Amino acid sequence: MVRRIAVTGYAPRLETVCQPRDIPWLAFLCIETGSITLNALLNRTNPYSGIVIKKITNAYLVQSDAGNLTCTLSQRLKQQSTGDPVAIGDKVCWNEAAQIAVVLPRRNQLARRSAVPMPGAHAHEQVIVANVDQIVPVIAAASPRLAWRLLDRYLVSAESAEIPAVVCITKMDLVDSRPESEEIEAVAAEYRAIGYGVILTSMVSGQGMEEIQAVLRGRLSVFVGKSGVGKTSLLNAIEPGLRLRVQETSQATGKGRHTTTHMEMFPLQFGGAIIDTPGIREFGLWDVDQDDLALFFPEMRPFVGVCKFGRSCRHDEEPGCAIRRAVNAGLISPYRYQSYLKLRAQP
Amino acid sequence: MKTCFTTQRRHIRFGGPRNAGEDFVCMYCHNIVSVQAPPGSCHNRNHCPRCLSSRHLDLYAAGDRLSACKARMRSIGLTLKRTPRKYATLEQGELMIVHQCEGCGKVSINRIAADDDDEAILSVFEASRRLDSQANAHLIESGIFLLTTNELQLVYRRLYGREWLRQT
Repeated sequence: MVRRIAVTGYAPRLETVCQPRDIPWLAFLCIETGSITLNALLNRTNPYSGIVIKKITNAYLVQSDAGNLTCTLSQRLKQQSTGDPVAIGDKVCWNEAAQIAVVLPRRNQLARRSAVPMPGAHAHEQVIVANVDQIVPVIAAASPRLAWRLLDRYLVSAESAEIPAVVCITKMDLVDSRPESEEIEAVAAEYRAIGYGVILTSMVSGQGMEEIQAVLRGRLSVFVGKSGVGKTSLLNAIEPGLRLRVQETSQATGKGRHTTTHMEMFPLQFGGAIIDTPGIREFGLWDVDQDDLALFFPEMRPFVGVCKFGRSCRHDEEPGCAIRRAVNAGLISPYRYQSYLKLRAQP
Repeated sequence: MKTCFTTQRRHIRFGGPRNAGEDFVCMYCHNIVSVQAPPGSCHNRNHCPRCLSSRHLDLYAAGDRLSACKARMRSIGLTLKRTPRKYATLEQGELMIVHQCEGCGKVSINRIAADDDDEAILSVFEASRRLDSQANAHLIESGIFLLTTNELQLVYRRLYGREWLRQT
């Protein structure tokens, strides 16, 4: 625990002092000084602690037992991190000036490589959410067009973060009684065979609503997906009282209009909560070792290490590759295999 | 044991990685191959113009780049395009090279480019006559009929033109 706190913003000196957490004099010091950092380290109940439920530019809404409070970042946290050190779902402690001073260790986190303003610019880790129970990648059956490869990126990220994922395909009414519909069903069956839950939904016909409510019940979930796929519309359909702002996709480009511009956590009446996120245009993998990439494809896992070159095999053009053999034998989808190659080339 | 991972995405598909449109080196004869098609030729470059070897990269449709086999495709014979033009007879169809994958045995037919080595094409034609009956039967099952000695004149006419044939 101490090591993780140090990563998220502790001074090294403090870390070395506090490593023996059960030292009586340290507990005494904590009580006497009222130090937030020491309290956090000693896992004491802190009245100045809560969960980040909304994130807008330079401000965070933190939910605690006493109510909701808008906080900013402390100077120390700002200086110690290149990106944003606080994510939705984080357990944080704040000081008297309502500044977040400590981010408590995370159970898990979904992160991406930050988009860079120009080619060659330095990218950093961008944590989207933390401490969630499941990820729900949302893709549209049409308008904007289906992005299977982007879905595979989300699933690989979820696998690397060890967070369960359930796929939600929206706007099924747009492909109703068209050949795309049957094809989507068939591909969904392939993903189910791999082990992912796939729910086909339509806000117009109400298809799949009960299914998705059952999946979300009692869990903290996060909707991720491209702009315009219907993340907020889905949330509105699940929790009608929210009345969140939604827009049609652009008729000229067929893409979304980036209507949702901030991340927020919404509690559900039937239990659980959903984090709604703005549309993500690109999703670069972060902290995923290319040599371990095949391990994040569940259907490829049994074949890793079986190749002629063992764990050194890149599964691309090497002779005696077990994964390629499995693709040829129909045990692995060729589309998923191409996603693997693409992710390896452009993580 | 086959599973259900065989769905071809016709309507919601995305292809495999395309090459970057750069010149490449043939994996078998190490000839430097330019992707620039010669004038009046087909624009696709799916085999080496010197050794006529290809690679098994496509799975469902031409250019989808979804195959994981990636083995060498050896040219095993010549045939005529199966779907002749509307007012043409079958014999007037375009001359094509028949490739067979050395890895999985898949057969495909490919167009001949203008800069393909004529000698190599003729040697493929010669070699196809020595093809065993089992391989020939497999081709016929796939709907591919190799050109035989009877069509030698036709091959020369396609390669060198009617005028050249008349002079010789």
